[in-house]
Amino acid sequence: MIDRHSLELALPGASIGAVAGAMAGGLTLFAGVPTGLAALSALMLALPLGLFGGLYGVLLGRGVFRPGTFGPCGLYWMAAFPLSRLVQESVAGTGGLAGGAGGFLLYQAMVSLGFAIGFVWIHERLMPHWLLRVAPANPQAEALLGLYVHHAEALRARKGARR
Amino acid sequence: MDTSKPPATSAPPVEDERVWKAGRLEPMPIRKLPDAPPSVHILGPTVFLVALGVGMGESYMWPRLVLLFGPEIRWLFLIGVTLQAVVMLEMARYAMATGESIFSGAARVFKPLMWFFFIVAMAVYIWPGHLSAGAAALEQISGIPWMVTAVAGLILVGVIFSFAKVIYNLLENVLSLLIGALVIGTAVVAAMVGSWNDVVTTITGMFAFGYLPAEAMTAAWFPVIVGACAFAGPSGMQQMWYTLHLRASGAGMGAHIPKVHGLRHAGEEEAMPSRGFMFDTEDPAEMAKWKGWRRWVTFDALLLFWGITMLVTVSFTVIAQAAVRQNPGVRDVIQNEEREVALTAMADAVSSAGSSVLGVIFLGFIALIGLNATLGLFDSFSRGQADMTYNFVKGAKKLRMSHLYAGFLWGVIIFGILILLFGPADGPAGILDTLAFLSTFAMGAYCVTLLLVNNRMLPKPIRPRWWSNVIIGCGAVFYLGMLFYSLFAFGVVVG
Repeated sequence: MIDRHSLELALPGASIGAVAGAMAGGLTLFAGVPTGLAALSALMLALPLGLFGGLYGVLLGRGVFRPGTFGPCGLYWMAAFPLSRLVQESVAGTGGLAGGAGGFLLYQAMVSLGFAIGFVWIHERLMPHWLLRVAPANPQAEALLGLYVHHAEALRARKGARR
Repeated sequence: MDTSKPPATSAPPVEDERVWKAGRLEPMPIRKLPDAPPSVHILGPTVFLVALGVGMGESYMWPRLVLLFGPEIRWLFLIGVTLQAVVMLEMARYAMATGESIFSGAARVFKPLMWFFFIVAMAVYIWPGHLSAGAAALEQISGIPWMVTAVAGLILVGVIFSFAKVIYNLLENVLSLLIGALVIGTAVVAAMVGSWNDVVTTITGMFAFGYLPAEAMTAAWFPVIVGACAFAGPSGMQQMWYTLHLRASGAGMGAHIPKVHGLRHAGEEEAMPSRGFMFDTEDPAEMAKWKGWRRWVTFDALLLFWGITMLVTVSFTVIAQAAVRQNPGVRDVIQNEEREVALTAMADAVSSAGSSVLGVIFLGFIALIGLNATLGLFDSFSRGQADMTYNFVKGAKKLRMSHLYAGFLWGVIIFGILILLFGPADGPAGILDTLAFLSTFAMGAYCVTLLLVNNRMLPKPIRPRWWSNVIIGCGAVFYLGMLFYSLFAFGVVVG
């Protein structure tokens, strides 16, 4: 059961996913698609990417992912990104599936690694600031913030070694 | 290891008195190596190298070559970027082991070698030409004349860096967001416009080793290919500056060196030591920590640097291929020698194929890349020149590093504005060839410098492996060989 505290952790990831999806959806205009369908296409990518982005934040809070590590996040998006694109193409298709679903999914899985790098990169920048805001009233956020603080302290300890 | 230990005294020493003698300069005191980061953390100074490296080579030069000669030409790109990843690891070796920049390492081998790089940096990087592509792209989108954007951008960079408390932190934050947006954006664009076939041809093309069509071996195109190879990943002296960012981020022994502050906070800066430090390479615990640091930087080199550079180029190539599919005329237009004209033609082709949205996004990326490069380049140039001046010009230590940094920064900004207003942005036409030559020559030269510094100035247990030396040696042959072949066979430097 996902409660309010978990949902708060989901916000940064959900925002990144949704913005990226909306931006990408705009590109369907490239294929000369009518504006209404393009808007639907944008929504159909922003929605799943936002959901998966948010879920990443929730799983981070539950300790499934560790802050700042790429490997598990890369695998996560390797499944989530092609799935999101598949949803988009199924509902508001722009011809991406014309060459067959196999090739389509394979290609999207490859591109997803790039997406994952960008996602983790920005998420790591936003999450600590967001946690600082919500931690006082959110024990899950406080625990996650503790991990970031631990990391920052380890970094400071290194600098403390300076003569 | 070649350390000297003073005779034992009755009172125990407060600090380790041993030193590591490297070259004829001041020996490095032995200090503790800090612990490597607890996890393989994604954030690191590689952001600078990516920001500087992902530039015109990735967004323009290589997509253009692929359209002209086919995807098979990309084997040269694969070699170029892989070579740069190894160079990055070797640059990091010296910087993390000593907390010194590679310039100091070069001075330990042979001082004139360092002055050579000082002069090359002055000659090549004071011209504001690199601003023009990004500012011109912004003009296409917004209608604001590029000269206005470029001059305003220059002043803004100077003001921001002067007021920042710790310049490195500010720049890392800004560049991280910009690069993150660029990476997500290009991935998504490629996901939308590309197909599995585009990637198959682009990737298989990378393994067509030895492919060089007859047209590529002409005076018109071979120099362009040499230029593109030099611009695959970080070009010119960017890798050398990376050692300064690594130190500023506190990586390895860089943790023992204070950070450079902005001019307004110069008074808070600790005095900069005149030499780096070394750790005890005979202590197994220290060597275990060293291995942790090497893992950390290898991850950065492979995933962030190699991965992002590849991703951006593959994406831009896929976009360019999609544009040609829509409008075959673009192939003729991009043969145009003028970079701005060709870039506009690519954006126009992309726009006319569907809507103006993709054209604007394409130009937006070019502007973003230009902004990243400008921020990174100005900081790096000033950091490098200030480091060399502080350590090797007599009397310079009376000033703080922050003052020298600010001096070089504002010097290059004011010169840049004057040139933008009254002179040729890329440099006087008569010396353009010399500048292009120096930039590529510096890359061959830093490969040789790296071999000398890492194999002669570091203790044996942390020297590079033989295969790494072979790759760096091949790098020197690759850059210098192509440069001189172009010069002697075709009488042209680089395109």
